[in-house]
Amino acid sequence: MSTKLIGRTSVRDNIKLSEDPSYPIFKELYEKQKKVIWFPEELNIQQDALDYHSLTEDEKRLFDTAVGYFCSSELLVQNVLVNSFFPLLTDPHAKMSFSTQLFMENIHSDFFEIVLQSFGMDREQMYDVAFSDPILRKKQSLIVDEIDKISHGKIDPESLEGQKQILRAILLNNIVLEGIFFYSSFAHFFALKDMAKMKNVVSGVELVLIDESLHLQNGIEAILIMLDENPEIVEDTEYVQDIRNVILEGTALEIEYVKHQFGDRTILGISSGEMVRYLKYITDRRLQELGFRQEFHVNENPLRFLQKEDVKKLINFFEVSSTEYTNY
Amino acid sequence: MKRTVIKRDGTEQPFRTQKIINAIFNIIQGLEVEDDYELVFLIMKELDLKVPERVTTEELDRLVLKAIEQLIPKHPVYDTLATRQLLKIINKDIDRRLDGFRDYLDQAFEQDLLDERLKEFDLDLLEDTLDFSRDGLLGYFGLTTLNDRYLMKNRDDQTIEKPQWFFMRVAMGIGNSNEEIVKMYNKLSNLEYLHSTPTLFNSGTTTSQYSSCYVSVIDDSLDSIMDKARETAFLAKYAGGVGTDVSRIRATGSNIKSLNAPSSGAIPFIKIFDTLVNSIQQGGRRRSSQVISMQPWHLDIDGFLDLRETTGNAYFRTPSLNTSIWMPDEMMRRIREGEPIYLFDPGECPELVDAVGDDFKKKYEKRIEQAEAGELKQYDKRDSKNFFKKYLFKLAKTGHPWLIFKDEHNRHNPCPQYSVINSSNLCTEISIPNRPDSTAVCTLASVNLSKHVKDDHSDIDWNKLEDTLETMTRGLDNILDKNFYPSEEARKNTMDLRPLGIGLMGFAEALVDLEIPYDSEEAVLLARKLGSFMREITYRTSQELAEERGAFAHYEEVKEEGNAYDYKPRRNAVLLAIAPTASISIISGTTSSIDSYFSNLYSRDTLSGKNIVINRQLIEDLEEKGQWSDDMAQKIKANNGSVQHIPELDGVIDKDLYKTAYEIHPNRQIDIAAAFQESIDQSVSKSLYIDERYRDDMEEIYLYAWEKKLKSTYYCFIDKVVKGEKYTEEVNKRGSRKGFGAAGASNGSTPKKKGDLENMDTNELEAKAREKFGDEAVEEALNADADSCPTDPMLRKICPSCE
Repeated sequence: MSTKLIGRTSVRDNIKLSEDPSYPIFKELYEKQKKVIWFPEELNIQQDALDYHSLTEDEKRLFDTAVGYFCSSELLVQNVLVNSFFPLLTDPHAKMSFSTQLFMENIHSDFFEIVLQSFGMDREQMYDVAFSDPILRKKQSLIVDEIDKISHGKIDPESLEGQKQILRAILLNNIVLEGIFFYSSFAHFFALKDMAKMKNVVSGVELVLIDESLHLQNGIEAILIMLDENPEIVEDTEYVQDIRNVILEGTALEIEYVKHQFGDRTILGISSGEMVRYLKYITDRRLQELGFRQEFHVNENPLRFLQKEDVKKLINFFEVSSTEYTNY
Repeated sequence: MKRTVIKRDGTEQPFRTQKIINAIFNIIQGLEVEDDYELVFLIMKELDLKVPERVTTEELDRLVLKAIEQLIPKHPVYDTLATRQLLKIINKDIDRRLDGFRDYLDQAFEQDLLDERLKEFDLDLLEDTLDFSRDGLLGYFGLTTLNDRYLMKNRDDQTIEKPQWFFMRVAMGIGNSNEEIVKMYNKLSNLEYLHSTPTLFNSGTTTSQYSSCYVSVIDDSLDSIMDKARETAFLAKYAGGVGTDVSRIRATGSNIKSLNAPSSGAIPFIKIFDTLVNSIQQGGRRRSSQVISMQPWHLDIDGFLDLRETTGNAYFRTPSLNTSIWMPDEMMRRIREGEPIYLFDPGECPELVDAVGDDFKKKYEKRIEQAEAGELKQYDKRDSKNFFKKYLFKLAKTGHPWLIFKDEHNRHNPCPQYSVINSSNLCTEISIPNRPDSTAVCTLASVNLSKHVKDDHSDIDWNKLEDTLETMTRGLDNILDKNFYPSEEARKNTMDLRPLGIGLMGFAEALVDLEIPYDSEEAVLLARKLGSFMREITYRTSQELAEERGAFAHYEEVKEEGNAYDYKPRRNAVLLAIAPTASISIISGTTSSIDSYFSNLYSRDTLSGKNIVINRQLIEDLEEKGQWSDDMAQKIKANNGSVQHIPELDGVIDKDLYKTAYEIHPNRQIDIAAAFQESIDQSVSKSLYIDERYRDDMEEIYLYAWEKKLKSTYYCFIDKVVKGEKYTEEVNKRGSRKGFGAAGASNGSTPKKKGDLENMDTNELEAKAREKFGDEAVEEALNADADSCPTDPMLRKICPSCE
């Protein structure tokens, strides 16, 4: 049996849970994810229909694109997980944690699908937007092309090269896609609620955010563990530089995207300048979480309304769907 | 980047920072602030990123507001500034269209928005009474809420009401004389009390529907179910919340005589109401809401407990309804003693529905005997502890159904000859006898206790409180005759009983002023004293009203029949009800109902959006002690709004005064509610805030609530354990692990890509900037002070103030 988190496995392997797990953090993350499971039916999305029709054109475009982007990306995350590194997880608790993530992505797809249906949005257009919009396509391609290389090529997980490739896949999926791209779109949704629009949909997005922050942690943990188990990786300065660059490339693409979206206007009280600064702030965080130095030195979140997400919430539950219940 | 401002008439002019700065200085005027330059600088810094290349003057006003709004958690002064800026926007907009109060009235009459009868008042006098300086009493969250939903709009969806006109319109819809209107306006605009939301929406308008809630009863027949569906639709349309008792509907499997077939039970019928309320928006401004109530001995109770589950058969789920349990004492006793409980079919045992107290116990025991003797068609025997545990599990998981005590409600029924009390309303503060042909209606108002504390904070200002309570009693009684009743059943109940619901908000804020911790015996004593005072004053006023206007009809009726009640004639069968005051406490800028501060820093989700709420009293206290700073604000935020675990504050402030809701044991929360309940003739709606660590004690907590003789409990808030990533705070996820940092010196040095702004050093940047913008612009940026920061990102990089 492999002593590393990532290795060659067969269906006979790791089918036993241990009371003393090799990676207790994944047991903990599994428990946390289990506690926050929710279902789209809890939210009364239909309530926002009137709101939706009163959005300005800019707001609607922002909303539609964000919904469309999530519609396809949630499933993309699943593909990436399943096709690249899930089969190589050697630890049963890690598998439970990541397969819970898989399940949660279903819930998110389901949720965004219901959003799409509730407002009579154009299905084809929504699912295609991530690939038909030239700028969004660049973002998706960054993930897809890289992962294709990994899953279609033969990887030897027992080799250092293999470990490096897997690490890169986890990074692209859980850090760049879920930790940067998703966080950009989250801000658009939260800005809507801040302006008292689409409150029930955004209540759902708040739940998605809680989930995604746990997924992000899944990724960070996996990467940190791999680095721990393969100290040779960080000795390869070129590889380390390359990892840093791919994160920054993701940020650059996202910046290009928000500049294009916001242009020279403010939408929902946000300008592209603020969004750019926000992305730099988020990127700096991601870098630090992985042990890199900051790139942009933005230490304060410029989108201050987001601090409303950080504090305890009290909800007029008869007006807005509550996101404050846990499962048990 | 050169920025352009587009004026209203379409002309364009360059964006000038100085102009904005002047405008901000304007709204600061008259405020006592330490350093107004610093304020302006901070606001400008926030604003700068927000202003796009092309911006209209109106948008600019809004962006200034957004910029100020972002700073609110820093200090209450930004809350005041945001309020002033929003007022400026509202007033500017209305002044463009309307030439004063009279013009507003004219337009509103013309568009058939206001009741013609308002014309009969002395409009000159009322206009002179308006005091615009009272706008300053409103906080930002309050004004936002008013502006979003309460201020009247014309038929073109433009706001036509200024806050002071709004208060006057509400007073005009309630007062019977000019003097009364002036008095009410003064009290309302000083936020000394407020009426409930439907009254604020509709007072004086052509939709004169003032009531908050209706409580109806469904009989065990298809006719009754469909009748009540129709009634519910109309009640919901006119902005009322509806409570409906379904305990009479026969259970699954019960025989339907006319078809000789088994019934499908109560649950599928409840689903009808779910669909119904979902299709009706409450007056377009608040979504309609309904609570369905069932007694827990009903055989369909399992399905009832599952109504708010999110998985399972969608036909048996009601995501848009609220639910509550109407719990008899005998069942609570069995739960406490661990004796089994029995479930029955109301089709077979109809006498259990109406029976209360000992009578219920007798009838229930008799049915149990029959069940054990095999004489009943349907019944179920359950372990009571398991049943209660399961119920509390559902409550914690779905927030529903909440627990209300049938017998405690009925023990205090002032009109048992009229009917039993069949259930409470959505917010659980109503306790009025009702029947299938008489739907209870309640019209509510709440006194703002925080405005009734003596200036020296030594005591409650009892004289002022007395005056306010009298005004409220008279006002609410006036309303009953002006009110529009969406159903005949609702009119009947009101005309028979004339119930009022006078409540309270700002209790916790007043406590802090009086330096009494919420979590103390002293607070319980004050609660008891207040409840009893409220009862004394309102009952006295109602007795006076009975002399002037007559007692309620049912009182006179039973007197004529020779079965007179043993109390003095009064105008109203019931007068007091402590409502949750969710929205009106926001407008008043105070703590809701009799709840403690939820937290010292939290965000609140309402239909008007999400707002950050800070405990102004705490900040003032900290400021006085020289302890308020950005750093302290950050610490409080990191502590989830609690000050209990901040060692620097030990001995500096009285920490007990600032305990947050989850830091106060639920039993203490119950004690306070129970102390009020002793005198409140209807009910006290009490939400319980339960910290995760008390979750296993829920059984004891709810038994305690019953033993303390609460009539109702309301929403059960349980502190959530897993939260999302903090957006504005650093959280160390890596611990001491180095991660990629182990690569040492190699990692930080990103290779410089050409043209990448972020990676250039200052010299390089300066050279590039000179190339692009010319020397002059660069010199200016280099020497920029706070007032003239450049906006171009490249120039910003070299501006000393920006970086």
